[in-house]
Formats: sequence, C-alpha cells, structure tokens
Amino acid sequence: MTDVVQRDLELERSAEEAWRLLTDPAWLSTWLADEVELHCVPGGAARFRLGKEEHEGWVEEASPPSEDSGGQGRLIFWWGREGEPASRVELELTPLPGGRTLLHVAETRPLELLDLIGLPVPGQRSPGYGPALVAA
Amino acid sequence: MAAERADAVFDALADPMRRQLLAAIAQRPSTATELAATLPITRQAVAKHLSSLSEAGLLARQRAGRDVRYTVTPAPLSSAVSWMAEVGGQWDRRLTRLADALGEPAPTSTSRSQA
Repeated sequence: MTDVVQRDLELERSAEEAWRLLTDPAWLSTWLADEVELHCVPGGAARFRLGKEEHEGWVEEASPPSEDSGGQGRLIFWWGREGEPASRVELELTPLPGGRTLLHVAETRPLELLDLIGLPVPGQRSPGYGPALVAA
Repeated sequence: MAAERADAVFDALADPMRRQLLAAIAQRPSTATELAATLPITRQAVAKHLSSLSEAGLLARQRAGRDVRYTVTPAPLSSAVSWMAEVGGQWDRRLTRLADALGEPAPTSTSRSQA
C-alpha cells in the first residue's frame, strides 16, 4: 500500500503561464516553501527550507507544457528530511477549457516498503528509520 | 477487515476540518464544547466530525462530568495516518498561499491510500 496525498487547484491562467509558478524559484518561495532552489532538469539538485527545516532532494522529471504532451506539464521531485525516507512530489498541469489550468498535486511515499525490507532508500542518507508500514 | 478499517481512516482524514480537530486533540484532549470555542464551526458540526473520527477508531471517548472528552487513539495505522495528516495539512496551506497570491478560489482536497 502506498500512502498518497492529493490536492487540486484550478488556476485562471494558461498551463504555459502556470509552469512558471512551479519552476521559478521566486514564485516557489511564495507558496511551496520559504526558500527554494530547484534545478529543473532530470537529476537536478533541489533544496527547500520550510521554517527551520531543510529538505534536500532532486528532480526526477521536468516537462514543460508542449504540444507533444497535449498541453500537459509535469514536474516531479523528491524531498525529505535527513534520516527519513524521501517522498515523491508530482505537480501536474492540465489545460482546461477557457484558458484555465488544473494543478494536480500528489505526494507519495512509495519507498517505505523498500525501507521496511531493508533495501537502501534513494534520498535517504542515514539509516535508523524503523519499520513503519502498516498491515492494511 | 484491515482494508475496510484503512478506508474508514482515510475517509475520516480526507476532510481538512477533521484533520485540524485530530491535530488539536493530539495536542490536548478536549471536549466538543472546548473545540467549538476555538474553531469557526458550531458545536454540532464539531460533534459530527468527532463521531466520524471515533468510528474510524482514531479517537477514544472518556466521560468528563456531563461532557465527553476525546483523546487520540494510538492506532495500528498511526504511521500512515500521521504522515497523511501532516503532509495533507502542509499541501492545504501551500495551495491556499498560492491561491491567495493569484487571487484564485480555494483548493479542493482528497487524501487516500492506494493499493
């Protein structure tokens, strides 16, 4: 079982305009975290400050809206507190009628199972996170 | 049984107000009257939310004079639940900040566990 948290927000702007909200550190610092550094290429480093917490991570995918993708844009990155399994954040832009855009957010912890069975977890730099997955 | 229970838990936590109530009770065991005094909803609405959180097994009830005091149950699902409650609350705040910055209507939310 994978834990997932999902949210949707409709934006009164095109997917191309909305892409800046997801990728421009100046915009990201207004809503995603207090400080954001994000190198928007696959494998690019990411750093987030949330209050007193530092999250580090990396970019899995950064696909701006394009005709090839049917106007969809997708940014996927991983982040996590040091010593805990990283979680995966997917931000997806889908064009809606009338020049509007749906922002869909999904944060998952797909790697907790790896951690549980003792395999190294990408994004986790120090051990010590015990079994936490639930029998459900 | 476990899967049904997980569904009940995730349904109970899909609502931002119920997550807020759970967080408040986790900080300090409270009665419906005490919770209603600190939140922008009626005591009746609080009681309804507390009842669905109790049915999901997330809250325990203790008599406190003529009132009932609620405490958080250490559930078998507590790791998933606390992660989802914490992360869900964070995204609610982030998307509200984004909507505010853009002058858009408030975000909608769903939280669930997927097989």
